[in-house]
Amino acid sequence: MCSAHATVRGLLGEIVARTGNGRDIIVDMEAGLEHLSRGTGKHVSRIIAVVEPYFRSLETGRRVKELAQELGVGNVVGLANKVRDEDDRRAIQQFCAAHGLPLVGEIPYDSTLAEAERAGLPPIDSSPAGPAVAAIRDLADTLVAEKGLH
Amino acid sequence: MRIAIAGKGGTGKTTIAGTLSRELARRGRQVLAVDADTNPNLAVTLGVSGPRAQDILGLPRNLMTRQTQSDGSTKVVFTADPEEVLREYGVTGPDGVRLVIMGKVGHGGAG
Ligand SMILES: Nc1ncnc2c1ncn2[C@@H]1O[C@H](COP(=O)(O)OP(=O)(O)OP(=O)(O)O)[C@@H](O)[C@H]1O
Ligand SMILES: [Mg+2]
Repeated sequence: MCSAHATVRGLLGEIVARTGNGRDIIVDMEAGLEHLSRGTGKHVSRIIAVVEPYFRSLETGRRVKELAQELGVGNVVGLANKVRDEDDRRAIQQFCAAHGLPLVGEIPYDSTLAEAERAGLPPIDSSPAGPAVAAIRDLADTLVAEKGLH
Repeated sequence: MRIAIAGKGGTGKTTIAGTLSRELARRGRQVLAVDADTNPNLAVTLGVSGPRAQDILGLPRNLMTRQTQSDGSTKVVFTADPEEVLREYGVTGPDGVRLVIMGKVGHGGAG
């Protein structure tokens, strides 16, 4: 077990034990699946698997759910990203329905994010009116409104 | 809420984690953003940049201590005060989001 991951896990465990739900915690995970077996997701109440409309990304989303369940984090949902058209939407929806991964939202492909990237600026500051930031704003509303999601 | 954002490389995890953190903070919520990537870059998406980004320290490895249990086995436990750790190693960015980064994975160390 790697000490860096263990430290994060320990810190989150202590924070949760002491402050409960008084604070929102958003963890940006490493790509792929390896971190799941290290338990970095142990103290979260939900894992959001971001999926793009292509097979290997969807397949990773499915594996995230599988592994998380083995580790006792049952609450795993998918989030579609970089959706360009109806075909993209259908590909993601069909895959997720077939594999029991409920979708919590959908973020469209947003070409203005590339500009933010080039300028080294946060999307929320550089393209606040863009469709991607708008969709994440909706996602925040959805998550806040959800009962039982602490 | 406590949410981990996972998925294949390049799918948009950091973009979503950073923007969602800012959006939640704008709703008056206290938000802790954790960069658990060994190649950290959540700071930019949150808007913690420039000299302050250089000041962010990864969490040190001495926060965990090996303790002997009553049955003789040992267990590595987190012994530091978490709020103090957040004060010392976290930085606060736009909209008041607090950021801590895991930092690089240590070499060869067990635990
Ligand atoms: N909805 C979107 N529309 C267009 N581009 C996007 C969208 N979401 C993310 N991107 C772009 O995709 C690239 C990868 O995004 P990001 O760094 O957030 O992914 P990641 O999953 O964190 O990557 P890594 O696995 O390397 O950590 C970036 O260039 C980002 O601007
Ligand atoms: Mg990332």
